[in-house]
Amino acid sequence: MENNEYVVQMKGITKVYPNGVAANQGVDFNVRKGEIHALMGENGAGKSTLMKMLFGLEQPTEGEIFVNGEKVHLSSPNVAIAKGIGMVHQHFMLVPSLTVAENIVMGMEPKKGLFINYKEAVRLTEEFSQKYNLHVDPQAKVRDIPVGMKQKVEILKALVRGAKILILDEPTAVLTTQETEELFKELVHLKEQGYTLIFISHKLNEIKQITDRLTIVRAGKSMGVHETATTSKEEISRLMVGRDVVLTVEKDKAQPTDVVLRVSELEYTNDWKKKMLDKISFDVRKGEILGIAGVEGNGQKELVEMLFNLNIPDDGEVTVNGKNVIGVPQKDIRGYGVSLIPEDRMVFGIAGTGTIEENIMSDRCSDQKYNKGPLFNMKAMHEDSDKLIAEYKVLCKSRKQQVGMLSGGNIQKVVVAREFSAEPCLIIADQPTRGIDVGATEFIRKKLVELSREGAAVLLVSADLNEVMELSDSLMIMYNGKIAAYFEDTSVLTDSMMGEYMLGLKQQSDEEVRRVIHE
Amino acid sequence: MSDKRNIMFEIARGLIAITIAIAVAFLLIFASSDDPASALQCLLIRPVWTSGALNTKSILTILGRTTPMIFTGLAVCVMFSANQFNLGGEGAVMAGGFVAALVGIYVPMSAGLHVVASVLIGTITGGLIMIIPAVLKVKLKASEMVSSLMLNYVVMYIVLHFLNMNFADRSKGATQTFPMESTSLIGKMVTGTELTWGFPVAIIATILVAIFMYRTRWGYTIRMIGINESFSKYSGMKVGAVLVISQVIGGALSGMGGAIEVLGRYETFRWQGLPGYGWTGLTVAILAKNNPILVPFAALFIAYLDRGCELMSIYAGVPAEMIDIIQAVIFLFFAAEQFMAKTKHKMVVKGAKEEMKQIELAKEGGDL
Repeated sequence: MENNEYVVQMKGITKVYPNGVAANQGVDFNVRKGEIHALMGENGAGKSTLMKMLFGLEQPTEGEIFVNGEKVHLSSPNVAIAKGIGMVHQHFMLVPSLTVAENIVMGMEPKKGLFINYKEAVRLTEEFSQKYNLHVDPQAKVRDIPVGMKQKVEILKALVRGAKILILDEPTAVLTTQETEELFKELVHLKEQGYTLIFISHKLNEIKQITDRLTIVRAGKSMGVHETATTSKEEISRLMVGRDVVLTVEKDKAQPTDVVLRVSELEYTNDWKKKMLDKISFDVRKGEILGIAGVEGNGQKELVEMLFNLNIPDDGEVTVNGKNVIGVPQKDIRGYGVSLIPEDRMVFGIAGTGTIEENIMSDRCSDQKYNKGPLFNMKAMHEDSDKLIAEYKVLCKSRKQQVGMLSGGNIQKVVVAREFSAEPCLIIADQPTRGIDVGATEFIRKKLVELSREGAAVLLVSADLNEVMELSDSLMIMYNGKIAAYFEDTSVLTDSMMGEYMLGLKQQSDEEVRRVIHE
Repeated sequence: MSDKRNIMFEIARGLIAITIAIAVAFLLIFASSDDPASALQCLLIRPVWTSGALNTKSILTILGRTTPMIFTGLAVCVMFSANQFNLGGEGAVMAGGFVAALVGIYVPMSAGLHVVASVLIGTITGGLIMIIPAVLKVKLKASEMVSSLMLNYVVMYIVLHFLNMNFADRSKGATQTFPMESTSLIGKMVTGTELTWGFPVAIIATILVAIFMYRTRWGYTIRMIGINESFSKYSGMKVGAVLVISQVIGGALSGMGGAIEVLGRYETFRWQGLPGYGWTGLTVAILAKNNPILVPFAALFIAYLDRGCELMSIYAGVPAEMIDIIQAVIFLFFAAEQFMAKTKHKMVVKGAKEEMKQIELAKEGGDL
């Protein structure tokens, strides 16, 4: 006899991936009808895996799933959708070149004879948009609309398909403060209309603000269900990581000296004729952390690419300690003392099927130290890899383990161990802690501060507001390929102040922005 | 899952693929032979055991036949490790053999030096040929698979052109060159067999390639580029240059194999078409999972089957083409990554559970 109080019941779920990772071990997860239920946990704790199983993207190795009291076998997302389950992914699953309405009806297009009834699609979109208070422009191309609206499109897509239970995978990760507030209003509105929402997040404030109950998973196991109202932030944090996390990083005041990185008048227009960098000029000095905040897609990615010769700008100059970087081979750029923590660690950061040791050695394999004549000095390699694995607390069986088998946080530690141990004079950290657990995040942030105080220049690019505000000595905000604002002192900043610049509501004068250039 | 268990699984998987391939061969033998029993005996036993005694001569022949396959197998290992699906081994073998033979015929040198010089020049020829598909790939992004495949035929016709027009010995019935100087020939290890001193050279080459791939910065760079090119570029490796180098090394190894084969087994150069060692090298490398150390074993397996099929066609009337069918079946099962993936997953689940249990036990132990 199943309890009808729950719309979703997952019982004793165990999931083992082909690479041997046991993502879930006997997890129970129950959601009441009409509640906003938070699913919390560090990255790699197994919350995404659990939700993938509920949406039919993965099948459990063991365990049962009940929807509305009925036992179901969710063999694919189509089955899950038929059972009234919808999912809004963290990375939007939209076709950028199609309009909002086309995206929403995709796969269930209203037909007129042989053709798609586009008018009907637009009408349908408008109807749902109004009913649920999710305002979108049905005729706009998805690539032209802001991130916040893309998310609404995703939600509408699920609703149009008849979803009564919505899974939202870290929906606020890409949103500004204002957009988040708007999203929360919409979610509450949905809840009032009887929808059930599962909200995946690890942002404590948001969870407290919007959810009714929460389930915490840690290391693949459930740490129980809790009423949000009666559980303190400290308690949640303790349950998530098993210890009290210090969420602030202590640092001395920066004593910046000489300019290390100088960027002047950098311009770049991408293949779709969009101006991604519009005469950007700034510099980073020895001993300081300059943060770059901004909503993703406002030129940060392109900027970082130019600094490491992964792309060539249309115009402008980049120098490190006076030496040109544009068009220079990466080996030489590294030789100038530049280290990069790449945004996409799986593409640039590691060779997945290589060992941890091989991944640590990638930038220094031809150093004198690691070679004896034509052969590798294996002993020196083993010693230094073991030392770095220990120093950076990479959780692994040995240096011979495949790096791709590690969790996201540990993979990032391998990347960071390599980049930080190269004795850099300039560290470019692009989203250094994205998607990794609190423990690894804290560790990496502390290291960044430590290295800057020891004399490295640090350029920190991050979409995580807390991170840039916490770590940066001074900070600039990028909007639409330009520097929207520069703050010499980050301690006076608030979220909402930054949000206004990030969304382009405000723009500092040229004189104010020019303060980021130190002659 | 532990590394050890993983290796055991891979070995088991390989053996099962081979068993299935042989089972398919059995079916075909039963269908095509009047006397299946003796055909099977020829395939499996006769290569090593004849009339109640160990057939030493046949065994040495098998070993001798592994020689060119080891070279081409190593060549493919190096190129595949860099994720370069270069199929030009065939042409490099032929050109290497041809040029080595020409040096053997027309450039007299002292004994000892002559053979070494001939082999080296054959090696260099193979390497030079591979520059073409490699540079086309790096500079123009032309698929090395297509260009190297086409190049085989270009090389073949060029060799045949010069063989027919310039170097043929018209006094002979078949198209072939004049005899090579005896100083350029590679001696037999055991007289009266196909086993030449080329075999120990192949074994030494195996060890050198293994050291190169796993103990030097160049081999390491090749492997890292093979795993992830973007990562390698970002790490400061010279991706384009290394892609060319890996293919030149592959060509050189193939060329060396061709030279050693021609100088070891013939008195004149008489190949009228692509010799086939390049293709066999692909099978060998796949069987060896791109691991140089396993190449001689894989080559031995193919050579054994080769010899068995030869005996079958002599004594039991089974077509010699059988070897191609068996090779194709093995190829299919080995290359199919999902073959036995379910079994592997079950093992993985079991392994993970055991590990969890051990961790639990360790924890409880710690609490007490």
